Amino acid sequence: MSRISTAAMHNTALQGILERNSALVKTQQQIATGKRINTPSDDPSGAVRALDIDRAIADADQFKRNSDTITNRLSYEEQTLSDINSLLQNVRDVTVQGANATVDAGSRQALAQQIQARLDDLVSMGNRKDANGEYLFAGFQTLTQPFSPNGSSVQYVGDQGVRQVQTSPTQKIADSHPGSEVFMNVKAGNGTFVADANPANTGSGVITPGTVTNPAQWVRDNYTIHFTSATNYEVLNGANTVVTTGTYTSGGSVSFNGIQVQITGAPATDDRFTIAPSTTQDMFTTLQNLVTTLQQSNVTPQERAQFDTNMAATITQLDQALDHTNSVRSEVGARLAVLDETADSRDAQQVELSKSLSELRDLDYASAITQLNLQLAGLQAAQTSYTKIGQLSLFDYLR
Amino acid sequence: MGDFLSTGLSGLFAFKRAIDVTSHNIANVGTDGYSRQRAEFVTREATRFGNGYVGNGVSVATTARSYDDLLAQNVRAASSSFSNLDTYTSYLQKLSNLFGDTNTGITASMSKFSSALQDVSNNPSSISARQVLLSQASALTERLKNYDSQLANLDSSVESTLKSGISDINSLAQNIAKLNEQIAGAYAQGGGQAPNDLLDQRDRLLDQLSSKVDVNTVKQDDGSVSVFIGNGQSLVVGATYSQFALSADQYDPNRHGVALVNPGGTNVDITTSIKGGTLGGALDFRNQVLDPARNTLGHIAVGLADVVNDQHHAGMDLTGNLGGDFFNVGPVETRARITNGGSATVTVTRSDGSAVTEGDYFLTKTATGWSLRREDTGATVTLTGTGTGVDPFKGDGLSIVVSGAANTNDSFLIRPTRQAVSGLNVAITDPAKIAAAAPIKTLAASSNTGSGKISAGSVVDATNPNLRSTATIAFTSATTYTINGAGSFTYTPGSDITVNGVKFAITGTPATGDQFTVQDNVGGAGDNRNAQALYDSLNSKALDGGTASLNDTTNRLIGNIGVLTQQAQQNRDAQQVVQDQAKSELDSVSGVNLDEEAANLIRYQQAYQAAAQLIGVANTLFDSLLNATRR
Repeated sequence: MSRISTAAMHNTALQGILERNSALVKTQQQIATGKRINTPSDDPSGAVRALDIDRAIADADQFKRNSDTITNRLSYEEQTLSDINSLLQNVRDVTVQGANATVDAGSRQALAQQIQARLDDLVSMGNRKDANGEYLFAGFQTLTQPFSPNGSSVQYVGDQGVRQVQTSPTQKIADSHPGSEVFMNVKAGNGTFVADANPANTGSGVITPGTVTNPAQWVRDNYTIHFTSATNYEVLNGANTVVTTGTYTSGGSVSFNGIQVQITGAPATDDRFTIAPSTTQDMFTTLQNLVTTLQQSNVTPQERAQFDTNMAATITQLDQALDHTNSVRSEVGARLAVLDETADSRDAQQVELSKSLSELRDLDYASAITQLNLQLAGLQAAQTSYTKIGQLSLFDYLR
Repeated sequence: MGDFLSTGLSGLFAFKRAIDVTSHNIANVGTDGYSRQRAEFVTREATRFGNGYVGNGVSVATTARSYDDLLAQNVRAASSSFSNLDTYTSYLQKLSNLFGDTNTGITASMSKFSSALQDVSNNPSSISARQVLLSQASALTERLKNYDSQLANLDSSVESTLKSGISDINSLAQNIAKLNEQIAGAYAQGGGQAPNDLLDQRDRLLDQLSSKVDVNTVKQDDGSVSVFIGNGQSLVVGATYSQFALSADQYDPNRHGVALVNPGGTNVDITTSIKGGTLGGALDFRNQVLDPARNTLGHIAVGLADVVNDQHHAGMDLTGNLGGDFFNVGPVETRARITNGGSATVTVTRSDGSAVTEGDYFLTKTATGWSLRREDTGATVTLTGTGTGVDPFKGDGLSIVVSGAANTNDSFLIRPTRQAVSGLNVAITDPAKIAAAAPIKTLAASSNTGSGKISAGSVVDATNPNLRSTATIAFTSATTYTINGAGSFTYTPGSDITVNGVKFAITGTPATGDQFTVQDNVGGAGDNRNAQALYDSLNSKALDGGTASLNDTTNRLIGNIGVLTQQAQQNRDAQQVVQDQAKSELDSVSGVNLDEEAANLIRYQQAYQAAAQLIGVANTLFDSLLNATRR
């Protein structure tokens, strides 16, 4: 049996009560903050893991903001593209109307004025600004007005820069298209070649924009369809070598190297028609050319032929522009769809992250309160037993 | 008759003495360090009669102290360990609490900074987004500085613990020496009787001393105790004592260790041999936790400044200029040892942020050259170069220039990251100076007929003098191209082309005559490429030779502190049990139990009463004798 000193007895009991007190305070602190981890030492690996999740949640929040910004911008671009589309559609209707032989010069002037107004609209659409005051179609030069009329043409002074915005840790999405891509890079002619009549032609031959019958046979070059007589033609390539020859009938096809054009009317000897590889023609030029064409006189057969050729080419060119706008629009649509998908998966991920963070760091109240009760009972027991035992003394019996 | 009267008297005296001792015990039941005393009875020398020896009663031989030196040693060793761990743990808990709040921690500030960077990236021409970025950057630097200054406060707190510990130890040593003198005197005067209460007092002082620092005690023949510290340096010998003093570090005069001032007045630095106790705990915390933590914090600052500045230099600001430094960061701390004999000075800069470590280094002049050695591991770092301004020593991401002449064994302390945080701030005040754009852009000529596309391009060498000059890639055939009209290069779709420090790629099928240009991006207010690159760089593994990101390092710092604190708490709790055990063992020998004293009191009271009865009996006997002879 070991001796227990009175002081030790009191101290041990007191120590026990103090320890229970501090455990109780710890549990109470957890309950008050609602957190299981209050300092890293409470659970070092959990604390570090919680930091990572905190970071992932903050990132997800930021990516959500990024997505909202870019969605706004893309929606605005989509709206603008839709406006451009109806504008072009409207111009095409006017062109079809103006191409009609029965329209007199006065009406054509009126139509020309209409188109001129449309052209101005198109320029202002190209110069639209987003909510932040940045030009939508200027590439990186967002503080510089991208389109400005310069004489009879419209110049693009922006660049080809595309801003990429991060929408998830691994995904970046372009938030706009540069003006060069939207307005300028429209394929000319039918997309493969441009058919045109030589302005010096004396006959009344009209050439259609033509079609590609076999892309594999197409050889890029500048070709000339040269009428050696009113009924015979030869096709020369860029090196002035004869590619093919043929007999002309009005409305008949001229075919070579996998392409085909129709010539109608009565071309004169030495009239020439050109087939050039397609480059690009911006929408403004197309509209400007249309205005010029409408304003020109088309009284003589030659003038009429030139007019018809130009009007047919313009309609093809407008179709190209519409196709082009639609393809840009569908790209914007695809980006918006991706943003939607990303948003869905991000929302799901955020819920998941918050859940893991809560499991990691938040307190399980049920078990904490059970523990608190247990600790309270323990403390009370320690206190009661101390007061009981502490009262006992042999001196009480010394009378 | 007189015999048993005196025998009775001896009993009365002895039991009165025993009751005195018992009452002393009872009175001191609450006195710290009091050891139970007891009266030791011996029979008095007997008187010889013809018919045998007749006893002469009792006397008290001595008042003995119940004490066990071995158990006391155990208690001191245990309490020295415990107070060491307790001090260490309580410092660590302060540190752990500092890093506890995740809403205001480094991670949260870093997240806000990177979010602000994203907002600039979303809207690079917005001055307000840029202003927010600058504010968040400065909040981040303030956060790191705040931590650094809290750590510096802990450092001063360690210093003041040392200071107060030293003054406690000094007064304890002085008092122990004084008690030694008194005890030796008391033994001599008291004919070898132990001065119990003085011994208790001295033991109590020794207990207190061992909670300050680990000590060894040796008992001397004259009753005095010699006290030794660390590797056997004597603190108290008999009535003489030494004193502790703060000693300035040989490299860093603002940092103090512990020195022993011998009675002769010479100082001996004993910092490294201080073990145990409050002093040992404070020193352990400083060496093992606080210094590394400050270095890690500095490492985060160095890493942040390094990755952000590097990327920022490769960008273009709103005014069209290349980006300057985004963050300023504190220099490498270099300190010469005070005993250096030569005149050499050392200038150290960080030459490669990704290779910089958190360790401290010693640069020492050897007979043949200079050697750089890590302070923690002692490992030698291989140096390249010759240490001159043109060709500095290089190693572990440091660039070291030595000037002046050094004596052999002259030494310098190099701390690559210690002061980094204190000098950390945002170098930019004008939001327009944030380089969110890339300085170059790429263009495909509008006359191109092929389907070739050029990538946006990125700067790989911001120092290239022709960085912003226009470069033209012209396709001379579908498979070959020239650069600025020169050369003939084979076209491989998608492979990197580097011109003037700019890297880009062309994909698709370009046609003959197609042209692509790389040119100055002046006016590119809407360009966010560099802002995006800055964001990416924050998450890149740019530290520790490309193995750790800033976040990894932050996690490591906080994880380490958490683990160390948890371990320290567990060790302290375990040591608490050991200490309690040792104390209760000693206590079971020397502690006062009131029940026991009550029992003794009853015993001695009864014995006293019985002895008093003897006097009564003697009186009656004497009376009867007187009565018998009166008539």
